[in-house]
Amino acid sequence: MISDNIIRNFIIPLTQVLVILGVASGAVAYMTLVERKILAFMQLRLSPRRVGPHGLLQPIADGIKLLLKEDITPDKADRILFTLAPIVTVIPAFTALAVIPFSGGGTFQIFGYQVTPWIADVNVGLVFLLAISSLGIYGIMLGGWASNSKYPMLGALRSAAQMVSYEVPFGFSIIGVMMLSGTASMVGIVEAQREAHVWYFLPQIFGLFVFFVSGVAETNRLPFDLPEAEAELVAGFHTEYTGMKFALYMLAEYTSMIVVASIVTTLFFGGWLRPFPNVEALGFLNLGLDRIHPVLPGYFWFLLKTFLVLFVYLWLRGTFPRYRYDQLMRLGWYWMIPLSIMNVIVTGGVVLLLRR
Amino acid sequence: MKIQAFLQKVLLLELWQGMWVTLKNQFRPHITVEYPKETVEFPPRFRGVPRLRKDPQTGEELCVSCLLCEAICPTECISIVSEKRPDGKGKQLISFTINYERCCFCGLCVDPCPTKPITAIYMSHDYEFAGFDRDSYVTAREELVDGKPVKIYTS
Amino acid sequence: MFRTEMMDINMGPQHPSTHGVLRLKLLLDGETVTDTDVLIGYLHRGVEKLCESKNYHMIEPYTDRLDYVAAMYENLGYVETVEKLMGITVPERAEYIRVITAELQRIASHLVWLGTHALDIGAMTVFFYCFREREILLDLFEAFCGARLTYNAYRIGGLPWDVPPGWTDRVRHFVKIFPGRQQEYDTLLTKNRIWLGRTKGVGILKAGDAIDFGVSGPCLRAAGVSYDVRKAHPYSVYDRFLFDIPTGENCDTYDRYLVRMEEMRQSLRIVQQALDGLPAGEVMGKVPKRIKPPVGEVYHTVEGPRGELGFYIVSQGEDKPYRMRFRSPSFVNLQALPHMVKGSLVADVVAVIGTLDIVLGDVDR
Repeated sequence: MISDNIIRNFIIPLTQVLVILGVASGAVAYMTLVERKILAFMQLRLSPRRVGPHGLLQPIADGIKLLLKEDITPDKADRILFTLAPIVTVIPAFTALAVIPFSGGGTFQIFGYQVTPWIADVNVGLVFLLAISSLGIYGIMLGGWASNSKYPMLGALRSAAQMVSYEVPFGFSIIGVMMLSGTASMVGIVEAQREAHVWYFLPQIFGLFVFFVSGVAETNRLPFDLPEAEAELVAGFHTEYTGMKFALYMLAEYTSMIVVASIVTTLFFGGWLRPFPNVEALGFLNLGLDRIHPVLPGYFWFLLKTFLVLFVYLWLRGTFPRYRYDQLMRLGWYWMIPLSIMNVIVTGGVVLLLRR
Repeated sequence: MKIQAFLQKVLLLELWQGMWVTLKNQFRPHITVEYPKETVEFPPRFRGVPRLRKDPQTGEELCVSCLLCEAICPTECISIVSEKRPDGKGKQLISFTINYERCCFCGLCVDPCPTKPITAIYMSHDYEFAGFDRDSYVTAREELVDGKPVKIYTS
Repeated sequence: MFRTEMMDINMGPQHPSTHGVLRLKLLLDGETVTDTDVLIGYLHRGVEKLCESKNYHMIEPYTDRLDYVAAMYENLGYVETVEKLMGITVPERAEYIRVITAELQRIASHLVWLGTHALDIGAMTVFFYCFREREILLDLFEAFCGARLTYNAYRIGGLPWDVPPGWTDRVRHFVKIFPGRQQEYDTLLTKNRIWLGRTKGVGILKAGDAIDFGVSGPCLRAAGVSYDVRKAHPYSVYDRFLFDIPTGENCDTYDRYLVRMEEMRQSLRIVQQALDGLPAGEVMGKVPKRIKPPVGEVYHTVEGPRGELGFYIVSQGEDKPYRMRFRSPSFVNLQALPHMVKGSLVADVVAVIGTLDIVLGDVDR
């Protein structure tokens, strides 16, 4: 007989991890399709439509194609690092999902065990996220270096500089949220927003701006996609990658996008909360899902908000030109960092005054 | 004026305007067509692969083997072999070959064709003629005249 | 202990933004370009030599394939050169239709330039919007001459056909809708701070240098030199139309962008005037069946979208030219590239290639 302890501390978390990994991989796969569809609509053209109805099976076809492709390792590349690099990139990206509260307001009862709708509620959740998200850069640097090729190396160098400079405003911009909520736990932050009767994007508008811009820069998306800048560096750090290794890089990039979007949702848009969670009259916004289970409407609102943030990502990609390397640095150091520090000081002052 | 410029800079106005344009276009109908399923309409003057034709009324051979198209073709893709008619009036075709591999679709061969108003050689509207071997591009007279369609890949 | 090395990097001939098969050998100090070697010839077909074995009719399809983005101009320049050599007068209506199609071609060519230039700098959507309008123009050309890219639309002495029925109305419709569409590119780029950052002060080519390099077209006008063959040596019926020559003053990529945007508006003005003044009548002049120009030589230029497009023909009185030479603007403008990118970053090289608006078919011939 498996003891209660093992089930509680091992089997349940493992199941949660597997479920969330599976859902996240599926979401990433369909994210590529959504991106292509939305960009296509913005650009007045047809999106992938040949595989399945309205191209719905396209991600699966792409996955199969990438799996079956020849896996080429360049002759002069460092074989071990070359193989390791995509893995190093993809693991932190998925690990970050561990502390994201997908829903709240209750727990599932499965076979008499309490199961939370998130994997872990760490009391230093935000700090953990920051630490994990900065690890992904190693994979990119390693990949660019191990390819032993010129364009990937330029891409890796750019990416190193870019990620290091945007790590600072990325960290500073969430300090305001931590000060307002008084906790670093992701669940605690959402609960604090419920109690504050206001989502933090209003008091923390600069924090949101800096966080989102740095988030776009951290995930190497347009207009900050310099490490892969296809017009200049062919494909940047993953020029020499093919097949499954290339797919891992893509997986990591899209997972990071989803993670950043989830963090934005949690920190600034009230996570799983529906609009005006304290107004009972707006209960119909839960679409009756709460009558089935109190956790379900949380999922709905969380996914909706995350998707909207991801849409902004794609929207930016569809609209803007790409920054130049030096301009990107200037934007980071001259604007983003001072702005985030100002935000911390002002928020701190206001919090202090209100406490009195 | 200065305040306006300052506000524009701080509020990122021009970026928002740009984003508005892309958002607006998202709801416009697409302008591309799903090619193999649907194709675009061609204007009457469209220059596809050159073909030979017979007189639509009488069904007689129109080509009088004057060799003008062969002479004007800039890529020398037309080759005509003809002989004197037994009755001594004009010439008759033995073979008429167009090498689609060389043809550049300039339409110059149609200009000097003497059988006006219906020219013997004309630019058809066929354009899908991908093939697996080079020999299939050397198209003989029968295929040119009967309009045996070049293999169509669209459904 | 530590030492730094220059890095040789090979850009092209297979590179996403070298517009075909241009190859650059860059010597990089970090990301700063210290030296550039332009290597061309990957698309060389020897058209000039080939023309010596073709008669005058046959040459026109070959000119299509020089600058395939603006083939109308290659046709126009060639037929006008032969007409000048032989002293053929072209009917008025043919001249007007030539002007209309040529100016529409200038817009189409500038749209390709704008789209690819923006794509190189990362603005992907502008490319598709530009091609949406170019599609309308290509449909017009297709209705007029039957082809979308290699037109072979004119003949020595006039036009092979008159315009199809309803064609002028479609052109008028385009003239009406295009300013609104151009406004969209304007909104997406002209004031966008990223675009400004990427283009202002990048690839400076001063007037003196531009003249020394022989640069012509929008690149020269953006340096403040108001030289346009259409005004300086009017050909066809250009002396009858009112239009301005836009010039820039900062000599940088942004000014070249503004100049080209304004040129599209001016082209639209010319098209409007030509449509209003379109005379009736024949479209083909009196031309001998076999074209045998007298002994002599001739040089004629037209203002292509990329710059001064010249044709030089030496005739020995036969039906084939003795010597044929094209002055292709892309080739000449490309010379200025190493000068323009010296000391800038790799990303600027891409922007400068875009702003020079080269077509490799025109460079290599």
